[in-house]
Amino acid sequence: MEMVSITLDGITKKFDDFTALRNITLKINDKEFMALLGPSGSGKSTLLYTIAGIYRPTRGRIYFDDRDVTNIPPKDRNVGLVFQNWALYPHMKVFDNIAFPLELRKVPKGEIATRVREVSQMLHIEDLLDRYPWQLSGGQQQRVAIARALVKEPDVLLLDEPLSNLDALLRIEVRAELKRLQKELGITAIYVTHDQAEALAMADRIAVIREGKILQVGTPDDVYYRPKYRFVGGFLGNPPMNFVDAEVEIENGYLNVYGSRIPVPAQYRELTQKLGIKKVLLGFRPHDAEVVRGATEGLAGEVYSFEPLGREQIVTVSVNGAAVKVFAPEGEHFTFGEKVTVKLREDRVVLFDRKTEKALEFLD
Amino acid sequence: MRDVETRPRRYSRIIILAILLASLPLIIGFTLLVLSSFSTDMVTNLNPSSFHPTIENWINVFHGKLATTGGIRANILRITLNTLIVALGVAGVVTGISALAGYSLSRINFRGRKHMMVLLLILHAFPGVALIVGVYLLYRLTFPQTSDFVRLYSFVYVIFARAALEIPMSVWLMKGFFDTIPWEFEWSGIIDGASRIKVWRKIMLPLIKPGILAVALFAFLAGWQDIIYVRTFLIDQTLATFIEANIEAEFSHMPLIAAAGTLYLLPTIIFFITAQQILLQGYSGGIKG
Repeated sequence: MEMVSITLDGITKKFDDFTALRNITLKINDKEFMALLGPSGSGKSTLLYTIAGIYRPTRGRIYFDDRDVTNIPPKDRNVGLVFQNWALYPHMKVFDNIAFPLELRKVPKGEIATRVREVSQMLHIEDLLDRYPWQLSGGQQQRVAIARALVKEPDVLLLDEPLSNLDALLRIEVRAELKRLQKELGITAIYVTHDQAEALAMADRIAVIREGKILQVGTPDDVYYRPKYRFVGGFLGNPPMNFVDAEVEIENGYLNVYGSRIPVPAQYRELTQKLGIKKVLLGFRPHDAEVVRGATEGLAGEVYSFEPLGREQIVTVSVNGAAVKVFAPEGEHFTFGEKVTVKLREDRVVLFDRKTEKALEFLD
Repeated sequence: MRDVETRPRRYSRIIILAILLASLPLIIGFTLLVLSSFSTDMVTNLNPSSFHPTIENWINVFHGKLATTGGIRANILRITLNTLIVALGVAGVVTGISALAGYSLSRINFRGRKHMMVLLLILHAFPGVALIVGVYLLYRLTFPQTSDFVRLYSFVYVIFARAALEIPMSVWLMKGFFDTIPWEFEWSGIIDGASRIKVWRKIMLPLIKPGILAVALFAFLAGWQDIIYVRTFLIDQTLATFIEANIEAEFSHMPLIAAAGTLYLLPTIIFFITAQQILLQGYSGGIKG
């Protein structure tokens, strides 16, 4: 397969008065698995369909490698698209569904048969070719949809929430398989999802999108541990990042969280001095803290609730009214209203500017 | 068939009874017509003693013998064929045009689309009779000079004129059917390399098959039943004009006309039964999600 990278250069898309995409600039490398992650209505699907050529950008250009495809019709872009609802043609058997793109390209009959068989073996659906889509289970239909997208050997594979119609267990199974398939084929893939777990699990890089804008692009580690915005921290992770208001005491290098005082984390000491911002948001992940009893350095609060989940439990601690979720080991016992302290893992703490909700290290 | 089961049972009995009562005149009327066609005398006087069973009327109808005495004949097979030509012609024209127009109104964003949809509704509000003067004027203006094509011309004209009356509503119906098909089917086809027209033919049309059948059936029945346009424009006779012409003729033998009337009714009954099944069945496939 040839090299294909995708460059989006300042893409803006307007529908009448509604601006779906605002000045999106993004580069997707060859053979990369890029996830477009965002809540519903964020414009991530619009971006995917713009790359596919179904929508034409109002402004900006799209390049496949060096080729400007902005005004090229979808059929000449050689992309494969898997839809959320799979869009299998109900009046065609599985074989004809997969063969359809090849028939449109006037590929000879014999070659169509070989290629359909090849791709269906790869996806383990070779026994289903004689059936109609409605005779298949959700997981099987999904494989057929992927087979149909792959059979024309596309340069780019576009996936629009392909797993969201599967039940939870199957989704986790398919997710591993899809990741493997993408790497085996070495195909550039763009994957739209609103499920942060899917994005973290599968993607090489994640672009977090909100209201038509890219907030952050980075590896799963980057966006998970070093969120650029409060929104990113709150959107990724289950349960998501905790946020509490804090005041920086610049003169002595402490953070004041409703009376609890903790030292400013090492990575922020210089920055807070330099920026001189006082009102910040303290962000930390539920697994980067622990609930301890007795007076230690940390956030003082009381146990609001606790939810055992087998291997671990989620303890909700009320820190002066702000709910904070922390993972605790399975054996520990809590009582409602118990006074506790939330001890933070300092190097994982992220401080955000309360006004712009941007992490301090990203402030200009 | 499922429903919420909250309605008291006795109500449904009352409703069924009311429906039966309301449709009784129709049922009696059609029963008398069918019975008369198998009798030597009409039974429409509601006197059972006038029913003398025979199938002679039906034999005569197919032989085109209009009166029991005398030699007046009509080629009833030809007349039935004429009716079929008009009905199928109307069905074909209406289905073809509305399948294309319905698709464009549902899926293509072109200038004047909204106005066109409103206009179609207004057009539908015009009864065919109200338009007939204008339609007749056009008929005369385009009437062929040579008599060779006159009969063909009158067929083509009546088919298109009658179809024009059906098209506004059919286009709306068809648009409604296209509206129910998720865009993803179309996008999928376009990305795979199909042109718009190919998407329409290979993907959309099979998906709205029940809609096409419904529109075709209604158009067929409209053509089959029409009397005003056929009488005004068609040189040949159809079953409707044939019955109408003979119902008051001195020589006509009424039970025979009853047989012709029953023959005329048959497709209506057959098609309504099939249409009902098709419409109820819908499309079993569909899309997930």
